[in-house]
Amino acid sequence: MAAEPILRLQGLTKRFPGVVALDGVDLDFADGEMHALAGENGAGKSSLIRLLAGIHRPDAGRMTLAGAPYAPASPLDAIRAGIRVVHQEFNLLPALSVAENLLFERLPRRRLGFVDRRAMERDAEALLARVGLAEVSPRTPVERLGIAQMQLVEIARALSSRGRVLVLDEPTATLTPREAGRLFEQIRLLKQGGLTMVYVSHHLAEIFSLCDRVTVLRNGVKVETSRTADTDPGALVRQMIGRTLAAQAPQAGAPLGREALRVEHLRPRGAPPGAGLDFSLRHGEILGLAGLVGAGRTEVVRAIFGADPIAGGRILRDGRPVTIRSPRDAVRAGICLVTENRKEEGLVLPMAARVNTTLARLAQVTRAGFVRRGAEREATVRMTAELAIRLSGPEQPVVQLSGGNQQKVVLAKWLFGDDAPVLMLDEPTRGIDVGAKAEIYALLGRLAADGRAILVVSSELPELMHLCDRILVLSRGRLAGEVARAEFSEERILSLAYSQFMQTE
Amino acid sequence: MSASNASSPIGTSPSRGGGLARRALREAGIGLALLAMVVFFAAVAPDFTTHENVANILTQITINLILATGMTFAILIGGIDLSVGAVMALCAVVAGTVLKLDSLSDPVAIALGIAASLAVGMACGACNGFVSSFWRVPSFIVTLGMLNVARGAALEVTNARTIYDFPDSFTAFGTASVLGVPVMFVLALLLLGAGWVVLTRTVFGRMIYAIGNNEEAVRLSGHRPFVFKVLAFTVTGLCVGIAALVYMTRLTIANPILGIGFELNAIAAVIIGGTSLSGGRGSLVGTLLGAAIIGVLANGLILMGVTDFVRQIITGLVIIGAVILDSYRARLAARGGA
Amino acid sequence: MDRRSFLAACAAAGTLAAAPGFALAQGTGAQTGRKPVVGLVMKSLANEFFKDMQEGAVRHVQERGDLTLIPLGIQSETDIDGQIAAVENLITRKVDAIVIAPADSRALLSPVVRAIHAGIKVVNIDVAFDPASMKKHGVDIVFVGPDNRAGARMSGDVLAKALGRGGKVVIIEGNPGAENGVQRKLGYTDAISAGGLTLVDSRTAHWETEEANTVFSNMLTAHHDIQGVMSANDSMTLGVVKAIDAAGRSGQIKVVSFDNIPAIQPLLKDGKVLATVDQFGAQLAGDGIDNAMKEIAGQTLTGWIRTPLKLVTA
Repeated sequence: MAAEPILRLQGLTKRFPGVVALDGVDLDFADGEMHALAGENGAGKSSLIRLLAGIHRPDAGRMTLAGAPYAPASPLDAIRAGIRVVHQEFNLLPALSVAENLLFERLPRRRLGFVDRRAMERDAEALLARVGLAEVSPRTPVERLGIAQMQLVEIARALSSRGRVLVLDEPTATLTPREAGRLFEQIRLLKQGGLTMVYVSHHLAEIFSLCDRVTVLRNGVKVETSRTADTDPGALVRQMIGRTLAAQAPQAGAPLGREALRVEHLRPRGAPPGAGLDFSLRHGEILGLAGLVGAGRTEVVRAIFGADPIAGGRILRDGRPVTIRSPRDAVRAGICLVTENRKEEGLVLPMAARVNTTLARLAQVTRAGFVRRGAEREATVRMTAELAIRLSGPEQPVVQLSGGNQQKVVLAKWLFGDDAPVLMLDEPTRGIDVGAKAEIYALLGRLAADGRAILVVSSELPELMHLCDRILVLSRGRLAGEVARAEFSEERILSLAYSQFMQTE
Repeated sequence: MSASNASSPIGTSPSRGGGLARRALREAGIGLALLAMVVFFAAVAPDFTTHENVANILTQITINLILATGMTFAILIGGIDLSVGAVMALCAVVAGTVLKLDSLSDPVAIALGIAASLAVGMACGACNGFVSSFWRVPSFIVTLGMLNVARGAALEVTNARTIYDFPDSFTAFGTASVLGVPVMFVLALLLLGAGWVVLTRTVFGRMIYAIGNNEEAVRLSGHRPFVFKVLAFTVTGLCVGIAALVYMTRLTIANPILGIGFELNAIAAVIIGGTSLSGGRGSLVGTLLGAAIIGVLANGLILMGVTDFVRQIITGLVIIGAVILDSYRARLAARGGA
Repeated sequence: MDRRSFLAACAAAGTLAAAPGFALAQGTGAQTGRKPVVGLVMKSLANEFFKDMQEGAVRHVQERGDLTLIPLGIQSETDIDGQIAAVENLITRKVDAIVIAPADSRALLSPVVRAIHAGIKVVNIDVAFDPASMKKHGVDIVFVGPDNRAGARMSGDVLAKALGRGGKVVIIEGNPGAENGVQRKLGYTDAISAGGLTLVDSRTAHWETEEANTVFSNMLTAHHDIQGVMSANDSMTLGVVKAIDAAGRSGQIKVVSFDNIPAIQPLLKDGKVLATVDQFGAQLAGDGIDNAMKEIAGQTLTGWIRTPLKLVTA
């Protein structure tokens, strides 16, 4: 690539509290090329796109667009400069027509501010033709379009202003293979038209069939940029994982007990038909659930917990089938869930630590329908000490606590009353600082040693490999495989996680 | 960050002072507003502080206080009840019809009339709660429907006629007083006190606050918010039934068009009292102060000779002011300011 | 109330029967066809007064037997749109005449003028259309109704006589903006100036018993020396009398009223209310229908046909 790159990133750095999302990334995008970004969840792809789109501003480094400094202060700045981003979630207004959506930012006006409908529809038709949607009338309300058509409308909208760089973030995530195929055709046509594109996808096959070059990011750092012709999927996966971490010393853990939880043909709501899940979990065991974002991990634990209705399957607790239609049923069967979003689903934020600690086991501190406040405070003080929660007192609202301490309160909620033989945790350390993480790991180890059965969902492979006795890997809602501790390697787990994406569609 | 190192791990003192002081502070503001109002009216309207006028005010706020007590339950759990005025009319005309049954002796008729009013109120409330939480319809809409249903039923029951001439032993309560305080107001205070105990001391109260703040977290902690929502609206309905009886003893009539707009006064009392319309935050102490502010305002402005229209404007401004104040409090709470 | 209405009460409470709303009650002879059809557009049937009026009209039509009546009501006193829709409905159904008690003396005029242009005879009852607006539309619709102002004057005069010159009185007004309320207030002030009374305060209680009770107790605190009350309807009077009782001043403060509803009778008997005015609402719609029939028969009626008012005293 001898020519001057159209977009150049130099030393781009973005920090969020507790995390370095991007760490000194240098990257060139050549004029007219199609450049893929690859990497694990949290590798920094999304942060990079947000910087390009003007949603966030870099903490260090600079960007150059066609030779001129590029420092967008807002998404509007980015659009004006010619960088258009098609985000994973649609930003369409469903009730409005295709034409109105396409030209929303610059509706053709007549005098007195009236919209010039004819001009608008004419412009819209031209745009639709560019993405191969000539058959769609500009007057159609967007809500009547199919998903693929919406995706194309999003792209057409991105093309509506003179763009120099088009960023596509997981454009095929919601598409069927056939729809994706149609989209690829249009993308190839745009590429032939000379448009520079940045393409983000988990689908390695797509990257290899569409893109000229691919850059791998890991932990916010650029690993390597290579021509797709010169590399292969296996090499890419290795780059995404990085050096193979030395296998962690296995936990001393007590010998495993009998089976605590068994799941047969479980199909969470929205799971693909025929994708029933079977697995079991024993007392004293820590089982991991790995997979890419959208692989259906959260859906599995929510289904077991009764948080969402299930499409099929059955659940056995200590060998006996249990019917779980609500979290209440699950809690009664001794199954607990530390949810992914502790703020929205785990805690009553504005209320006191005391209230949150006893929320799931209120009966332990009540008599005849009255809350025994003394007993409740005592219980809170005890749990606070046990889990080393930093708290000014039982009356402190949990909203004032740090993420790690909030998460410990959620754990206290389930552990108080000592009635949680099966404990499931969804991303237990997300947004938590390193110290609290270590404490939670240690706590989970202790709980397993006490004979509890623990199921952990996490996007961080090192975390799972550190904690678990076994890891189940999900790929697109299916159980792709199981890895025993002795065989733990990120490469093995990731290739299983990608297994449903590798097959050419 | 600041939160995590705010203090050492627990164990030193179960500091209950923090929470109480914070709560007291919230209501102190409303109390001060009320006090300022009282001082102002006492200064400009000489009759304001007479014993008769104070008794008048207490009588006048009684019905609203009872309705607002029930409304506090509905709002705290994250709902609202627009049907209280209409349901009150239905309670009154059903109870009034029972009271007028010739075949019953007075004591029996009174007992049955009271039971009928409470039963009708609770049934309508339970219905509101059930429909809105079972089908996940906003209670705003459900109770708007109930408003029409109850009003229509009240008209149907009476054929639009006023029921009057109740037994004296029944209406005697309306004007009775102990130590110069109207008996009905004492009743309202007792009700409010009972409500306060329920909200602050019982499992039911705990669930109301928790659900009002974060229903999903409560559900995912293994509870059934549905049950508590139905119960909360039933309490609202119970209060409506009681308010209807107070109306009947005080005015010795029951007619199907009574109580129009009472829901708005009750909501205003709750909101002025600092309870958040989005639920989970507030108290009955605030509601008491809110109802008192509305009553004092209406009374004092008439004593001052302010015209009807200006009086309406001022009342509206006070409500808006209270909501603005509440948004400041909400922002303070979000910042975690203790 | 008797046992039957108690059972009705229970049934209604149990099933939560729907509001009456647009009642299309129908008398006899709906299918006769050749009889003239008269539409009766009422105000809110939730109001006892109009309910009586409508029932009186239905009875009256049964007695006459020579016409078909279509009575239409509205949801609330101020539901102007509902009345406009009702008039339009009757135009579409090509009735021969419309008898209307307008919810607003101006807003209802244009649909009514449309009815006149469609060849429908129109008779105005209860509250008169605004004369200036009628002139602008070039119509002169006959008004059949009581003189609210004169009625209030009669009631007010009773109070003036009882108190003597210099007596201090207050007025409890109806809804501000309601024509009959305005007329009654005018009648009361006529009586006040003629009788040499002093008007201390005048406030609305929106026709409502509880509000009248509250408002009047507060007026009483502000003006200890009130000797008399002129209340624009009996429902409010019920609240006023309770306030007087509660203040322990029964017998000292005299009250006059308007409407003569059943619930006021015991108070008249006890002397707690000196007088009220009966405007024979039950017959009013009947009178309107009689005049509509005259117009259908070819007579042309204009101006104000006053219906009787009667002062009711103990």
